[in-house]
Formats: sequence, C-alpha cells, structure tokens
Amino acid sequence: MSDFLASLTQVQQWISSLAARYTVFFPTPHGEANYRFTAIGADDDVRFAPYRPTITPPVKLLVPAREELFRFQHKEDGDLLLSPSVDSSFRVIAGVRPCDLKGIFLMDLFFERGVADPYYLARRENTAIIGYACTTPCTDRVFCAAVDSLDHRQGADLFLTPLASGEILVEANTERGIGLLDSTDLPPCEDGPARKIGAIAARPETYGRSFDADVQSLSGIVEQYWDSPLWDKHTERCFSCGTCNLVCPTCYCFDVRDNLALDTVSGSRTRTWDGCMLPGFAQVAGGHNFRPQPAGRQRHRVKRKFEYLPTKYGHGPVCVGCGRCGRQCTVDIDIYDIVHDLIEGGKS
Amino acid sequence: MKPKIAFFDFASCEGCQLAVLNCEDILLDILELVDLVEFREAISEKALRYDVAFVEGSIHRDEDIARLRDIRARSTYLVALGACACNGNVQARSNFVAPAVNYAEVYGEAARNRVQVDPEHWPLWAHTRVRPLDAVVKVDAQLRGCPMVPSEFLHLVKSLLKGTQPDFPAVAVCTECKKNENECVFDRGQTCMGQITWAGCNSVCVNNGYVCDGCRGILPDANLAAHLQLLREHKVAEADIRSRYRLFCGAEPIGRGV
Amino acid sequence: MNQGQTDYAALAAATYLPATAKIVEIREMTARERYYRLELPQPLGHRPGQFAMVSVLGVGEAPISISCGPRDDNQLEMVIRNVGRLTRVIHGLKEGDTLGIRGPYGSGFDLDHFYGKDVVFIAGGLGLVPLRSLIIPVMAEPSRFGAVTLVSGCRNPAEELFREDLKQWSQVPGATVIRLVDATENMPWKFDVGLVIDPLPKLPLDPVKTVVAMCGPPVMYKFVLMTLQAKNLGPEQIFVDLERRMKCGVGKCGHCQMNHLYCCQDGPVFQLSRIGALKEALR
Repeated sequence: MSDFLASLTQVQQWISSLAARYTVFFPTPHGEANYRFTAIGADDDVRFAPYRPTITPPVKLLVPAREELFRFQHKEDGDLLLSPSVDSSFRVIAGVRPCDLKGIFLMDLFFERGVADPYYLARRENTAIIGYACTTPCTDRVFCAAVDSLDHRQGADLFLTPLASGEILVEANTERGIGLLDSTDLPPCEDGPARKIGAIAARPETYGRSFDADVQSLSGIVEQYWDSPLWDKHTERCFSCGTCNLVCPTCYCFDVRDNLALDTVSGSRTRTWDGCMLPGFAQVAGGHNFRPQPAGRQRHRVKRKFEYLPTKYGHGPVCVGCGRCGRQCTVDIDIYDIVHDLIEGGKS
Repeated sequence: MKPKIAFFDFASCEGCQLAVLNCEDILLDILELVDLVEFREAISEKALRYDVAFVEGSIHRDEDIARLRDIRARSTYLVALGACACNGNVQARSNFVAPAVNYAEVYGEAARNRVQVDPEHWPLWAHTRVRPLDAVVKVDAQLRGCPMVPSEFLHLVKSLLKGTQPDFPAVAVCTECKKNENECVFDRGQTCMGQITWAGCNSVCVNNGYVCDGCRGILPDANLAAHLQLLREHKVAEADIRSRYRLFCGAEPIGRGV
Repeated sequence: MNQGQTDYAALAAATYLPATAKIVEIREMTARERYYRLELPQPLGHRPGQFAMVSVLGVGEAPISISCGPRDDNQLEMVIRNVGRLTRVIHGLKEGDTLGIRGPYGSGFDLDHFYGKDVVFIAGGLGLVPLRSLIIPVMAEPSRFGAVTLVSGCRNPAEELFREDLKQWSQVPGATVIRLVDATENMPWKFDVGLVIDPLPKLPLDPVKTVVAMCGPPVMYKFVLMTLQAKNLGPEQIFVDLERRMKCGVGKCGHCQMNHLYCCQDGPVFQLSRIGALKEALR
C-alpha cells in the first residue's frame, strides 16, 4: 500500500505511544533466557533486540490457554440463560517475526475454513499486527528458510524491515495499519521494494538449518513413512508432556470443560489447549485409545504438520521452522531432526 | 438429603484439612451443600456411615490399617487427601532407614539404646513401612499435592454433588507449566520433576520461581528411564537423584528404585 | 479478513450453544444402556448416521449417536451407555429433566446409496444404536430395497439392545434378522451363539447389488471386512460408522482426526473406498 522510512528510535517510541492508546503486546525479556509477548505500558522501553522466539507464539493471544465459550444460568422459573463470551476488544501485537506471522496466517485458514470459529475470528478481526523482519537467525534451532516462512509477510497490517543503513522500512499493508501511523509524520519511501530486496540480499546465504529436500517435496517424503523405527527413535525419551504442541504456532487442538459454580445452577463452558502428544488425546469414554503409544502420537504430530494439513490447505508445511518445540523439549526431541531423518532415510 | 462427609487423619501435618478450612471464601457455601459429620480440626460429632470420607495421612502401623479399613467399610466414597495419603510423602523416606537409626538421629544415641532394650518403647519399632492409602484399601479419588489444591477439592465436591466422578487428567506438570508460559527451569540451569509428576497444581511452584519436586506423585505412564537419564545428563549426583525421587515419592516405585 | 461484517456473538451462539431438550421418556435397556426420547424446541432434521453433541451444563458434553430414523417432528431417540463422567450424570436424570443438544453433525448415511440394493447391516454391540437410524427407514419401505439382512451381535443375552425392534424387523417381508451373542452365559437365548462374523460366509451376497452398512467396536472391522472382500464386495459397496473422541463436532478440536480426515465432519459414516487405505481408520 504505502512505504515509509523511520529510524529505529522513532519506531520504538511510536510503539510505546501506541501503548498509551491501545493494548499493545510486545516481546519482553522474561526470566534468564526467554521472551514473552506481554502487554506493555506507554513508559516501557520497547527494544527490537534480536530475541529468541517467545516461549509461546503470539498467535496464542488469539486462542488463549483457557477461554470461556459461554455462560449459563438456570433461573428459578425454569428458564435457562445462555450467553456467548466473545472477546472483541481491540489489541495490537507488535514485533511479530515472519515465522509467527505465518503461524497466524495458517491459523486464520484453520479457523476460517469449514465451520468458522467465532471466538478466534472475533479476536483476529480486532487485532492489528506489526511484523518485524529477521536479518540473522535468532537461534541455532531455526529452520524457517527451509519451510518457506522466513519471507512470509501476509497478515501483517504493518511490516517493519531493518535496512543496512540502520533505518527501518515501514510497510503499511492495510488501512488499519495506516491508521496506527497517524500520530507519526514519517517520510514516505519511494523505493521500498528495492530496499526490501536489498535487505533480503544482505542476509546470510545459509539462514538457519536447512533440509536436503525442496519444501514442495517434504509432504511426499513424510507420506512414505508409517511403520518406521524412526518414530520410536524420536520418542524413546518422550515424556508425553505436550510441550511441543503447546508452544507450536500452528497447534490449535482444544479440550472443552464445564465449570459449575457452587450454587450448582450457573457456570461456564471453557476450552483449553490440548495436544496430540498427551496420552489421553485420542481416548474415548469407553477406554479405547486410538493412539496409545508415544511413537504413534509423534507420527501423528509430524504428519499433521508436514502431510495432512499441507494436503488439506495447500499452503505448504504447517511447521514454520521457529524451533520452539525442539528448544523447549527437555529431552531435545526436535521436529527438524525427525524430518531430517525421514529425508535421509528416504535416500537409502 | 445432603451427603454426609467426614475428615480423618493418619500420619500427616493435617495441613490438607487446614487447606480445606482456608477455602474461607467458599467454605460456607460448601457447608450449605454437605453435612459435615466428622472433622477433628473443627468439630466433634460421630456418625456410623459416611457418604464421602476424606482421609489425610499415610499408613504406618497395624492399628492404622485396622482403623483405615473401618473407615473404608463405613464410607461409600473414600478420598485420599493430600500427598501423604496419595504417595506417602516425606515420611516415606523412613522406609529406607532402620527404625533404631531413625530414633537415634532424632533423640540421640542413648535413646537408641533404650528403645532396643525397653519393651515400653518397642511399639515404636512396629511402624514397619509407610504406605499410601491405596496400598491398604480401595481409594475412589485422590486429591494430590502437598498440600492438596483447593480448586481440585472443589471440583471433586461438585462432581460428587452432580452424582459423578471427578476428572483429573493424567498429564504432567510441564503441560500446565507451558500453559502458564513459564520459563523452563532447565533454562535457569536447574532440574525439575515436572515431566513425570501429576498435574493439577497449575505448576504453582514453577510459577513462583521454584522447581517441581514431585509432591503430587508420579504419573502412571511416566517415562522414568528418560527422566533418570536427563538428571544424569544435567550432572545431578546419583545420591541427589535418589534423594529427589524419595522426597515425596518414597513409597512409590520411583522412590524404591524399582 | 472481513472487517466488521460478522456478528460473532450470534455465530458463537449458533455454533457452540446447546438447545434445551426435554427428556420425555426413559427406558432401561440393559444394565448399562438406557433409551432416551427427547423433545426439542424444533426438529433437528438429521440424516441416518448423524450424531449430536449432548451436554449437561456444568458437567460436560459428548458426541452421542442419533438412534431414530429421520423424522419431521421435534422428537429424537438416543441410547446412552453409562460409561463416563457425563453419561453417569445423564443416567441419574429423570423424565422431565433437560439436556443440552447441538447438531446434527457428521456425514451420515445417504439412502440413495441403498435404494434398489440388497442391504446388509452388521451391528456389533452398541453399533446397533446408530445403525438403527438407517435400519428404520429401510425396514419402513422394504419394497424400495432388495433383500435386507441384519446381523446383530452382542456379548450376552442381557446386553442385547432393541429386542422389540429386532423381533419386528424379522417379520418385515424380505428381511432376515440374525441375532447372536458371543456367549449365553447361562441365560435363556433362543437365537444363535457366535460372533457377527460367523454367519457372513454363508450369506448369499450378490457381489453386484449388495450394499453393507456396519458399525461396531474397532476389533470387529478387520475380520468382517476380510470376509466381505472374500465375497467380492468392493470398497464402494461398504459403509462403516466409526467412533472417535470428539470435543467440538465442527472439525476444530482435533481429537477425532484419523490421518487427514476429521471423523466428526468427514464421517462418522465413511464409504470404505475413502478410508480403506488409511492406517488410522479401522484399527
């Protein structure tokens, strides 16, 4: 739509100023070695430091760990009151990396297609996203380039690209994005596209980890494996804790639970994050578990990211290469290693 | 009719019953719904039968066994209340020490000698083995943790009032910890039992800067071999690993080295 | 994104809020199963083989098969086994109490696949419950179908469901009903003893004009399908009705996924040709 130029300081001050008007989430240092998307205050220091991927991805602000679907109340006259709990409050998520932007783009597909999910869509519609391009790999775990997410831009209202000159190229892709810039008077940039190409060319040639296979071929490679010792190899140490699911930008499975108030006539129905690596995920009430073994669950997880959902939605791997699952697994089970092994195994 | 509920305790600090009393904001609402007939911490009234018996504490002596069996026989639904009742808790560490040695440690060498010759002290020898309730009687539900978690207590009470079982998913503390977006304790250079420990505590210890020590007991399908290997890889000494596994779970297979 | 166009609260209400159904009749069927007839605010308009999400507010929600044939009124029949947290509470309800209902969901059976064909129903245990929603319309108009055979098996005589229906269907012209138990367990039983697979080899099945609809526990499928294959029935002639864990019914929660398919949306009724090659479908 339109491009502008800004200094890093200008951008950082502008995001702080947005926090005075809106709820703004930004990656904030947490603990000793981590970041979290946290609601910032207008006085907070906003710094686009190179950061590790946040513990959970920003898309989880659109599908919170626990969200109310509706409330109910049985009235004394026998009537039942039901009220849906849709959250349409406006918010800004700033500092979203391309991998996480692609995660949001994919989640948009999952929740829009078929039976539309009102809870996700209401939040999404009322969320402005400010993306931020990566110039160097943020950790040695990433493989974003190998799964085509490093240059993902779609879904951001504004996208910021750091240039070699030290300036920031500000791309406004939506009217809402332009609206967020209304408090600034940034000069327009006439040669935005050329500068973007320059910024991409300035990146390291090998960006993060790579696969010895085209991104288009991954689905076909993963499809070849069913009964394979590789699934066992990569679950031997698995605790079935579901961390890999819970920190994944494209995992959206949920459980539904009811909460009854102590008056025993009112309460709510909520949904919470679930994960296909958890032992009871595919177990029916009668006790039969359709995926009783961790290896079968691992296979499902990997195939879902690289075979099932890519086939269903047609947008390539549903793994964005952020490296969260591998880094946060206490026993180092890394989806990159699994797919790497599948590719290698297919060659022999 | 309101269900008759009762509280009993064995070897414990009675902290879980206190935790129930500490649900001050909702305790009166609960008492509207149930008929509390036995609760040493608060009232004294005896009944012959109980709809729900909450039993705190671990089982040590023969007379404990007899008393627990009696409670079981008089109760429709029996709940193990807290870590002592569910997995033995810290006192189960004494399973690995001869009683006389224990006695000497606490009361001195002279006491050890006396306990070995004075028949008056012999009953102290009789505490042979610390066990959770389910090693002795059938347990219908477990409210895990040291102390038990008020929200789980409430969920159990509401479920029973609705005429059904509570639902305590068999997932690890890590699962809740990630939902809370905590920094993993391994990123802080520490180690943790969260991978193999029953969730339900909302990862309260990690939320508050500590690590999980497994007070809620070990998950039924926990990958114990992987956990042992993990602690070794993080250079935890063998003796420390054993001590860690026995801290709350001395009465469980992991604590016994099984 | 379609900004500002959608009333999401209304969409949420339409997607996730249950309607209130009144329990108008309860019948004890076996020690574990009860029959429920429900009255809804308006007709559900279901096809055979579809299911509904049934809930008790404050306890939970679960997928339950619809057991009656398609109907224009606002009545609905279900059979509920006391097997989990929710169904235990439902078994404690009385006539006049209410349940929450969302649906109908799933693909269901398409009667067009069955008209003019010899129809074989194979029901194992609780499988008779969803299959009944197809058996009823077939038995109601036998002239529109060829020979109709129902093989219905359960563990023991006490566990047999819909005995009156089975008796009635056996009197429908052109219909054969084979009733089996795995073992009589010393109970009176005047029908056959064996597994549902046992009578299949002897059935005269026309490989061209036979269509099979089956539902049962996961262990049943493999052997029954082998037998049908040996009778030269092709995978487009066989329809299976599968069970999976479901929390939403609308293809979002992920629990019912088997390979790339969602059981709640793509199924629970599948033509075998669609899932025969799927590793996770029939195990």
